[in-house]
Amino acid sequence: MASRKEGTGSTATSSSSTAGAAGKGKGKGGSGDSAVKQVQIDGLVVLKIIKHYQEEGQGTEVVQGVLLGLVVEDRLEITNCFPFPQHTEDDADFDEVQYQMEMMRSLRHVNIDHLHVGWYQSTYYGSFVTRALLDSQFSYQHAIEESVVLIYGSLSLKAYRLTPKLMEVCKEKDFSPEALKKANITFEYMFEEVPIVIKNSHLINVLMWELEKKSAVADKHELLSLASSNHLGKNLQLLMDRVDEMSQDIVKYNTYMRNTSKQQQQKHQYQQRRQQENMQRQSRGEPPLPEEDLSKLFKPPQPPARMDSLLIAGQINTYCQNIKEFTAQNLGKLFMAQALQEYNN
Amino acid sequence: MSRFFTTGSDSESESSLSGEELVTKPVGGNYGKQPLLLSEDEEDTKRVVRSAKDKRFEELTNLIRTIRNAMKIRDVTKCLEEFELLGKAYGKAKSIVDKEGVPRFYIRILADLEDYLNELWEDKEGKKKMNKNNAKALSTLRQKIRKYNRDFESHITSYKQNPEQSADEDAEKNEEDSEDEDEDEDGVSAATFLKKKSEAPSGESRKFLKKMDDEDEDSEDSEDDEDWDTGSTSSDSDSEEEEGKQTALASRFLKKAPTTDEDKKAAEKKREDKAKKKHDRKSKRLDEEEEDNEGGEWERVRGGVPLVKEKPKMFAKGTEITHAVVIKKLNEILQARGKKGTDRAAQIELLQLLVQIAAENNLGEGVIVKIKFNIIASLYDYNPNLATYMKPEMWGKCLDCINELMDILFANPNIFVGENILEESENLHNADQPLRVRGCILTLVERMDEEFTKIMQNTDPHSQEYVEHLKDEAQVCAIIERVQRYLEEKGTTEEVCRIYLLRILHTYYKFDYKAHQRQLTPPEGSSKSEQDQAENEGEDSAVLMERLCKYIYAKDRTDRIRTCAILCHIYHHALHSRWYQARDLMLMSHLQDNIQHADPPVQILYNRTMVQLGICAFRQGLTKDAHNALLDIQSSGRAKELLGQGLLLRSLQERNQEQEKVERRRQVPFHLHINLELLECVYLVSAMLLEIPYMAAHESDARRRMISKQFHHQLRVGERQPLLGPPESMREHVVAASKAMKMGDWKTCHSFIINEKMNGKVWDLFPEADKVRTMLVRKIQEESLRTYLFTYSSVYDSISMETLSDMFELDLPTVHSIISKMIINEELMASLDQPTQTVVMHRTEPTAQQNLALQLAEKLGSLVENNERVFDHKQGTYGGYFRDQKDGYRKNEGYMRRGGYRQQQSQTAY
Repeated sequence: MASRKEGTGSTATSSSSTAGAAGKGKGKGGSGDSAVKQVQIDGLVVLKIIKHYQEEGQGTEVVQGVLLGLVVEDRLEITNCFPFPQHTEDDADFDEVQYQMEMMRSLRHVNIDHLHVGWYQSTYYGSFVTRALLDSQFSYQHAIEESVVLIYGSLSLKAYRLTPKLMEVCKEKDFSPEALKKANITFEYMFEEVPIVIKNSHLINVLMWELEKKSAVADKHELLSLASSNHLGKNLQLLMDRVDEMSQDIVKYNTYMRNTSKQQQQKHQYQQRRQQENMQRQSRGEPPLPEEDLSKLFKPPQPPARMDSLLIAGQINTYCQNIKEFTAQNLGKLFMAQALQEYNN
Repeated sequence: MSRFFTTGSDSESESSLSGEELVTKPVGGNYGKQPLLLSEDEEDTKRVVRSAKDKRFEELTNLIRTIRNAMKIRDVTKCLEEFELLGKAYGKAKSIVDKEGVPRFYIRILADLEDYLNELWEDKEGKKKMNKNNAKALSTLRQKIRKYNRDFESHITSYKQNPEQSADEDAEKNEEDSEDEDEDEDGVSAATFLKKKSEAPSGESRKFLKKMDDEDEDSEDSEDDEDWDTGSTSSDSDSEEEEGKQTALASRFLKKAPTTDEDKKAAEKKREDKAKKKHDRKSKRLDEEEEDNEGGEWERVRGGVPLVKEKPKMFAKGTEITHAVVIKKLNEILQARGKKGTDRAAQIELLQLLVQIAAENNLGEGVIVKIKFNIIASLYDYNPNLATYMKPEMWGKCLDCINELMDILFANPNIFVGENILEESENLHNADQPLRVRGCILTLVERMDEEFTKIMQNTDPHSQEYVEHLKDEAQVCAIIERVQRYLEEKGTTEEVCRIYLLRILHTYYKFDYKAHQRQLTPPEGSSKSEQDQAENEGEDSAVLMERLCKYIYAKDRTDRIRTCAILCHIYHHALHSRWYQARDLMLMSHLQDNIQHADPPVQILYNRTMVQLGICAFRQGLTKDAHNALLDIQSSGRAKELLGQGLLLRSLQERNQEQEKVERRRQVPFHLHINLELLECVYLVSAMLLEIPYMAAHESDARRRMISKQFHHQLRVGERQPLLGPPESMREHVVAASKAMKMGDWKTCHSFIINEKMNGKVWDLFPEADKVRTMLVRKIQEESLRTYLFTYSSVYDSISMETLSDMFELDLPTVHSIISKMIINEELMASLDQPTQTVVMHRTEPTAQQNLALQLAEKLGSLVENNERVFDHKQGTYGGYFRDQKDGYRKNEGYMRRGGYRQQQSQTAY
């Protein structure tokens, strides 16, 4: 456990193919202005997260935990983690903060990094872009600037953090359409992905190599399986649900818009009437009517919070990415199979 | 009028006395102020004074007596009432009391009452047992008497110091006046009771005696006994005034007594005479009373004195029994009807006796009919409570009585019976004119029917008793039939309608086995045995129903009777598997639209009819109709309640006692019940036959609706079972069968639906069980075939019809027709290849993913549309008129675009 060593650059991508892909993925989300440009994760942390998820996260249940580590130059090194106990409704008096503090104190006693650098969460078919995640990541980032959230689900591990823009919006706590418009924020610029690197000690790397050599070839065929419609179906289903939500949200917004415009019209008419009357009065030599507070007469309708729709859009985007990735791979496989069949014939 | 007073004034005329008393009462006080006035009219004055006092005191003593009685039976409420009256009476008597002093008996009752109350108060156990009213009265009375007694404290304490003595004194007095007492107390002889109760009167009479003495002495030795006189009067008043000094006074009295010993003896003699006279008078008066008010006497007798004694007294011996006398008697008896404390059983006895007498004396049928009507009415009245039902013996009597009445009415066609005949215009004996009797035979019969229902409702349906009661049904029907015949001749159409309905209500639910038998075996004429013929005589119930109902349809003016008749008619049709007639009648009557406005019993009848209709449809193999008919009843899960076959436990808390009683009265008697398990089974099986193929056809449809929620519920319950054993209950059987059918396995399905258990539970209950079973098997085969094709069509490229016909054991044409139907309805994407007799699948059904993609595309379409609307707003915020137009235009365009977009999408999806 304490065998932490400063390894140099030997990134092990073998354990998780997508993680490697993510590492190369887009770092364009404006991460330039943040101090941390890379997340380096210990193999141990990855294994611990996977274990936690497999043991406790079933179906739509979500598991969470705390990441520990250090910031070294422009990279965030995550060297250890510990899980949160599963929440139950019964023990409401369970104090999460105290649990965390005690956990970290105990870990410090055994000489483990005890600095809080973020948290991790599992996900069910990539549905993680939620309000809850946004809120807690915001509070993390607000307290510890460099903290990230690791999302783990179906063999993919990604590190995310909120963009500085979104941080500002969240700080304002104003999610009205105007504010979001002003902030010029869209769903693409809500979360930024931080490239991750998985780092192991040399000894482990050696062991991996050896294991790879020894492992049977048959295991690798799983990648070629064509029966993957289940995954696709699930994704489609979830995507559909989100689209429904989005639809509703738009309808809501639409009603708001209509209400506003209707009121605007009324206001306009009122003003005109007032003006006419005043003109008449003027011609009769009477004093004009006193000015009234229009905003009191016409209370503008409560604008719907747009954050939800942003989040939904973000979520839909993730699903689409997932599906795209997945179908691309499957298509590849299909072409391969076709080629093989033709070759055999 | 006070008895003491009457006894006291011996030789004077009674009438004048009472008048005098009335006149002098108000001025009594004035006279009382000069008691020593020795004028000529002294006697009168004295007597007047006495009478006023006596009257007051007697009032008090009477009250006290009732209080004592109440105390004995621990009726504190009564005590309280009487105590309040006593207080008032005492207030009235105040003037006298002021003069005479507080009467001793009054103090005594106060003291006793207080003691008694304290005792009761201490007795916690007893208090607990006491009912609420009594307990409440107890506390109030206790407080009141405490307050009240404060005014009499000194008297009470002195009384309490020597209660013995006064009691002795009382006893003494009692001995003296025992003759009087006996009369007064009417045979209450317990010494203690007497002692307490009669204390006051005895005191008075003693006083009275003394006065008598005085008078005597006045006349005899007036010159030397001046002081004695005063002494005696003073002692007289003293005795009342100062209870504490009683002893002294008594001794004084005693001292003087010897001197007047002889006089006393004389007085005693006189008194005896008086007593005798009084006794005579009293008895005379009693006799008079008896003669005067016979009616009153009847009432009194009924209060509990054994009847046997009274019977001979019905009419005085030798009275000539005429109509007038009998009618008078009848009216007397009837007057007591409905009064509190009337012994209803005795009343019935009396009436019956009266009938006998009337019959014996040949008073004619009119009178007998009249009395009979009243007997039946009082039989119905016997139970004061609506909820309770007649006792069997009463019921038997009632039936007999109605039968007899009908006998008479049939035998004497010249008797007119009707409820619109007034009492005055009744003609009971004038033989020249037709007899007219007030009373309504129809009402009686309707009431009888109600009573019968009540009896059936209140009998345990699983007991022998119920069977016994049910045997009376034949009798009830017979009576109804007789009345029907009678009314057909004489009654108005309205009455005929009512009796017809009654007849219908007793016919509609019975399965006509004879007619059924006849239908099965077409008439072969000679081969029939005698017995069979005898059995087959009588109208077919179907014909009967037809006749009765048609009459009602044509003649009835009240909606309710017609509605009931229609429902019964439908029920009867349905019961005898005449589905189309039943359905047509139901549809033509439009009852489904307005039944919710009917009263609950009619609604229950409607529900029963619908259920019967559904079951009938099921027997005919019309699963869809069966399902539709039963849906309303079954989907609510309250079939039991809706059919009036039992109350739900769940809602017991919601409704109060009163509602529950009402609902209980609405229950249908057990022999009319529709088997609920059969009902549910029929419903579930028809739901299965509809739902399973539907589910198979719409496996991946997102907007799939449920045909039957209840069926789905059962399926889910079945799925939730952690361990699936062999099915036990009817529901489990259906669920298991559904599962088998889902896989197209009709044989397993069949074996689950039709087996020993299910036969016993359900199928054997049908009149034509075998027919139903064959129908069911065929249905299962057909629907399984459909399900199979829906489920597995994607697996096949083509399938030969012969194979299918083998698999489902259906003949080829049937398979052909089923498949053709499916193809025509676009349920199955396939075509028939005639030469090879195969079904060729088109394989155009989208896969699950494709379906999802299609749905997604649709949703995205609507999303885009919504989005565009938002965009519209942004573009044209102002200028409502133009915007609207533009909006419409754009909408159209949007729609077009959307269509295109969708097409594109679906193309890419494939």
